[in-house]
Amino acid sequence: MWNKPWRLQEGFVIGTGLIVTGLMLQFSMGPIDWSLFTWPANIIVLAVFLLLSVIIYACRSKVYGFRFLATYTCAVPALVMTAALTIIMGLTAQVSENSQPADFLGITKMLSFWPFVLLYLWIAFILAQVSLMQLFYFKWRRLPSLVSHLGLLITLLTATLGSADMQRLNMYTVLDQTEWRAINKQQVVQELPIAITLKQFIMETYDDGSPKRFASDIIIYTKNGDSRQATVDVNKPVEVNGWKIYQYGYDTAMGAESQFSILELVRDPWLPYVYAGIYMMLFGALTMFIFGVRRKKQ
Amino acid sequence: MSWEHFIYFAIVSILCWAYGAYAAWKDKTKTAYASTGLGLLVFFAFIIAMWISLERPPLRTMGETRLWYSFFLPLAGLIVYIRWKYKWILSFSTLLSVVFICVNLFKPEIHNKTLMPALQSPWFAPHVIVYMFAYALLGAATLMAVYLLFFKKNHNSHFSTEMDITDNLVYVGLSFMTFGMLFGALWAKEAWGHYWAWDPKETWAAITWFAYLAYIHYRLMPKSDVKTALWMLLIAFVLLQMCWWGINYLPSAQATSVHTYMN
Repeated sequence: MWNKPWRLQEGFVIGTGLIVTGLMLQFSMGPIDWSLFTWPANIIVLAVFLLLSVIIYACRSKVYGFRFLATYTCAVPALVMTAALTIIMGLTAQVSENSQPADFLGITKMLSFWPFVLLYLWIAFILAQVSLMQLFYFKWRRLPSLVSHLGLLITLLTATLGSADMQRLNMYTVLDQTEWRAINKQQVVQELPIAITLKQFIMETYDDGSPKRFASDIIIYTKNGDSRQATVDVNKPVEVNGWKIYQYGYDTAMGAESQFSILELVRDPWLPYVYAGIYMMLFGALTMFIFGVRRKKQ
Repeated sequence: MSWEHFIYFAIVSILCWAYGAYAAWKDKTKTAYASTGLGLLVFFAFIIAMWISLERPPLRTMGETRLWYSFFLPLAGLIVYIRWKYKWILSFSTLLSVVFICVNLFKPEIHNKTLMPALQSPWFAPHVIVYMFAYALLGAATLMAVYLLFFKKNHNSHFSTEMDITDNLVYVGLSFMTFGMLFGALWAKEAWGHYWAWDPKETWAAITWFAYLAYIHYRLMPKSDVKTALWMLLIAFVLLQMCWWGINYLPSAQATSVHTYMN
């Protein structure tokens, strides 16, 4: 053990160390409260992560453990152990975002379980080191790999750190009435910078009575005095001032005669960055498909 | 044009694809291209005709989705064949396509099945089609692993032709799996308001994705063991089955997944 070069076993020991550390944090501090990461806490954490990554990269020639992060031998245990904890998540019924874990360890709320988060953080550090290395030693043949690693890193970081800034609210709009309040997942009423009047609830059914289409004809008013008419369909949200308005529900007992329509309003300021990462991963997958394996022949 | 005419187009297409697959085995590359291409044209003509007669793209019902699988499988097979010249890939893609065509011929009542509003999205078909193609390729990689582990004696070479084929299948399979997953994320944002919700199906999709990434990184690692790598492929395929249909039997995933109506 710990003779250079490190092998898989050292990687698995590092992962186990992260799990043990995570368990100690879990017992001493409790599950991670992601709602604490609202702006500007998330941008500070992101800056610290990037700074640490650059420092680790700068010291890679001096510290073997830092250099190890960008190796396949480190990636394999990280992927296997992350998959293992995600399997546990897939096998246990998870509690909702606003509940406490239903077990003493905390695995029923895996997204707030310290060992799980530390393993994903390990993956993020690996991705950052690989991206930096491939940027500094740029080669065209490694472009698919670079774009895939960097894309996944951007997606992971912005989706996780941005989640606290995301607002998801439900608005109950009654026919011919104007509404500007909505309730969040904690059932707290919030006032919005936009108001909505429901002009018509549209419902079409199949011959067997199951819903074929349900939609709302609405008028949207913004604070600067503008108004616009729009139809919100399932799968066709309407965007206004950074808010996406979704058709969410209706009075199912009344069906087509429903006197109200439930809209969901979502604001996610980090979405463009998440999408940038997703499109980079799509580009990476496309180039991986086109160019396939480029293996060094022995 | 309606589903009644489907059988004629299907038979002509299958004959063309089968002849193309046969030509590939006989190393008649150009004949394989031409015949498979012709079959694709005939099949696509039917899709276009359906499109015109329905006055909407035929993407709405499960039967129509299968129509696209049946088209894309030989197309993807042809692309892989042009790229790597694997003799067997056209037989494999033709066979899979025939399975989906047969389902459409023998279960036509499904064409009239209603589709709930959340599924009425242009993302529906590409999301499912590329996933199915990924599953097909990774299934082929699994067959290679079974063959190398249990039937071919003393296979230990990292750089055999068989390992090249297996690696390429995983690379292409994983690219398509990535497309499927990310198309799903982009669709989810439009339909459900968020791109990733750790729905049980999504959780298992992430697990499967990690498992194949682990295989790829393990293969690139110095001093890796071929047998361990092949076992990783078998485990990854078991995880893929969990993601595909296994979660329907998981108590933890009941009634919480937006994907349960798809099966």
